[in-house]
Amino acid sequence: MAIRPILSAMLRNKTGAILVGLQIAITLAVVANAVFIIMQRVDKINRPSGIDSENLFFVQSYGYGPNYNHRDTVRHDLDLIRALPGVVAASVTNQIPLSGGGQATGYRTSAGSDTDVTGNVYNVDEHGVAAYGITLSAGRPFTEQEIQYDENVGSKFVPSIIITEALARDLFGESSPLGKNVYDNLGQSAVVVGVIGHMLGAWVDWDELDHVTLHPRIPDGPAVRYVVRAEPGRRDALMLEVEKRLSAADFSRAISWVRSHEYYTERSYRNDSRMVALLSVMIVLMVAVTALGIVGLASFHVNQRRKQIGTRRAVGARRVDIIRYFMLENWLLTTAGVLIGTILAFAFGQWLSSAYALPRLEPIYVVSGIILLWILGQLAVFVPARRAAAIPPAIATRTV
Amino acid sequence: MFSYHLRLALKSLRRNPVIAALMISAIALGVGMCITTLTVFRLMSGNPIEHRNDVLYAVTLDSWDPAEPKDDDHPELPPPELTWRDAMAMLESDIPSRQVVMHKTGFVVEPKDREDAKPFLVEARVTTSDFFPMFDVPFLYGGAWGDSADENPQFAVVLSKETNEKAFGGEDSVGRTIELDGREFKVVGVLDDWLPTPKFYDVNNGAFDKPEELFVPLSLTAELELPSHGNTNCWKDEPLDSFKEFLNSECVWVQSWVELPTPEKVEAFRAFIDNYVREQKKLGRFQRPLNNHLRQPDEWLSVNEVVRDDNRVLVGLAFMFLAVCLLNTIGLLLAKFLGAAPLVGLRRALGASRKAIFHQHLVEVGVIGLIGGLLGIVIAALGLLGVRQLYDNYDALTRMDLTMGLIAIGIAVLSGVLAGLYPTWRVCAISPAAHLKTQ
Repeated sequence: MAIRPILSAMLRNKTGAILVGLQIAITLAVVANAVFIIMQRVDKINRPSGIDSENLFFVQSYGYGPNYNHRDTVRHDLDLIRALPGVVAASVTNQIPLSGGGQATGYRTSAGSDTDVTGNVYNVDEHGVAAYGITLSAGRPFTEQEIQYDENVGSKFVPSIIITEALARDLFGESSPLGKNVYDNLGQSAVVVGVIGHMLGAWVDWDELDHVTLHPRIPDGPAVRYVVRAEPGRRDALMLEVEKRLSAADFSRAISWVRSHEYYTERSYRNDSRMVALLSVMIVLMVAVTALGIVGLASFHVNQRRKQIGTRRAVGARRVDIIRYFMLENWLLTTAGVLIGTILAFAFGQWLSSAYALPRLEPIYVVSGIILLWILGQLAVFVPARRAAAIPPAIATRTV
Repeated sequence: MFSYHLRLALKSLRRNPVIAALMISAIALGVGMCITTLTVFRLMSGNPIEHRNDVLYAVTLDSWDPAEPKDDDHPELPPPELTWRDAMAMLESDIPSRQVVMHKTGFVVEPKDREDAKPFLVEARVTTSDFFPMFDVPFLYGGAWGDSADENPQFAVVLSKETNEKAFGGEDSVGRTIELDGREFKVVGVLDDWLPTPKFYDVNNGAFDKPEELFVPLSLTAELELPSHGNTNCWKDEPLDSFKEFLNSECVWVQSWVELPTPEKVEAFRAFIDNYVREQKKLGRFQRPLNNHLRQPDEWLSVNEVVRDDNRVLVGLAFMFLAVCLLNTIGLLLAKFLGAAPLVGLRRALGASRKAIFHQHLVEVGVIGLIGGLLGIVIAALGLLGVRQLYDNYDALTRMDLTMGLIAIGIAVLSGVLAGLYPTWRVCAISPAAHLKTQ
């Protein structure tokens, strides 16, 4: 079909064409960038944590008063929790992965070295690896004899340590860290007994999130946290059970809370999931508005050109020719729109990445956006185009 | 004349109800989206202590590691908090008319009267008494503890309204005692509702968290060895085995604010902190270049990047969305107006002035803009309700106040005018003769 008559018809109504083209251009720029941001956030939220997140829950007990005995309370609580049916394993823990709160410290490969590598520390007992559901890629979990408990001697290091592969790589390169020594800031050493394949630490926006270490230590009081791993499906029931049992035990302490790990991941990723939700709503509305706009404008043009369409039909154009005319007209408009839109999308993406330190927009999102808008435009214009095709040729013979 | 034009406008809209609905909902959605994102943004970037902005200053000193800055992304910034010993040194100065040194901690509260009530953990702030007058904190009962409690440890406590409800059922509890960590504290005051958003006085421990649940005198920190429950950052290789060592360490965890009512006092206090740091340098501390700051709340909030970039991006995208909605409406209006051009030609030929035509179409555009704008505000209210579901603890960020309502109406009216102006102008430019001929 000849494009020239369509173009000259469009030129007669330049403003209308420009408006639709601009609308498509901005839609492409926004949709491509928004989907790109959404995909990054979804990837971030869904990255593996390295722990048995969905079956984990945490308990905090907070001791007070002169009668509080930290060591006895911890021993009693863990014995009680481990004896409950449905509990796979339980351990003390100082902090909670992906919760936004945690401890980090620097590790060195020699005493007094100037350069250190930061790792997120988790103090656990001999059940720690099992309780978190961590997979060791080399070495062994802690033994009972290794577990440290020193009241008020916070700066004493531990005899042995378990570290993630990512941290080991930054410390020792590609060679195996097993059996090697790492040093703390005071020059005390610990030997690496286990290597974790992958595990995430406390702060979801930290770029060294996979630098995690386990220390064999029961943290000092008066606050203590436990990590409990339940058999699949039994977490929620166990949470109630544990809270009831521990509260009933007669110690000078308060059970501050019992919370699932999901509670923490949901909160930590809330900024990201919120962005995903808001951007998704925006994209859907924007695409809908643009599509309806195309339908509305095309309907008008059909009404305006009833007589011309009738004339064309009268001089031999088939219905399919009329439909094809409108579809082609829309395709031309959309194509012009997405050409400008591509420039806009990359310019917008460039601005986002420089102003907000976001990654650069990947072209695949623009290409997908173009295809989406082409299809959308064709679908939107099809309804009015079919109505145009239904105009009887006889209309040509009537005067206005 | 106006009512006649209004009648014409409604008639014209009814002629194409689908198109009319499309135009109105496009404006409504665009306006609604903008107002929703803008409300959250505005509240996030708000300054709840604006009326005292010119006299309050957050104090920061660069006591950090000589080898590297505290924040790699902002090497020019000192740590946002002070060490205990430096904060204590600030209190030595009598230049500020008021001064706050404070940190976070936690207590277990044991409700006494009721046997069945379980002990619960509360977030607490340990502070000098100037906190309350300096930050304009409203009291429901009683008031702050006396200055003597700032020097000599006293077991005095100010409760938040919520804590007072939990522990005393909301009665005037001033003079009564409450058991914190097994010790009896005397209630001296109960706060009224107070929700500064953002929590300007401590933005580094959750800028959109609620204020603490109770407040106790700073003199208790050393006495009771109250642990820090806020961000605590240490850089120095030093043993931290006892609380005393911790208080003397280079760890930063204490917030410091001063009230300096005159420029002379600001200069004097600036000289005081610079001198203090120079003295400390002689003792081998503060090995980084002199980098002390007094920042007013406005600057403090922006330096600490309280507003998430995400919210800026969302506002930007929302306005682009509004642009698409307006382009859409312009296109539809134009097509509609020009479609009715023969009618306009006829009216002009029968003697209607260009002004009358302009007026008539402006009324029609105004109706669309008004309905769209009002609907947009409704959509924004719904949108904020939805955002509240997403934000949970951010209740304060989703309230639409009077200013926001006015901004909303402004955006709505402006959108309507912007969308309607061009089509109206075009239809007025029609020469009557062209349309009177048969086609």
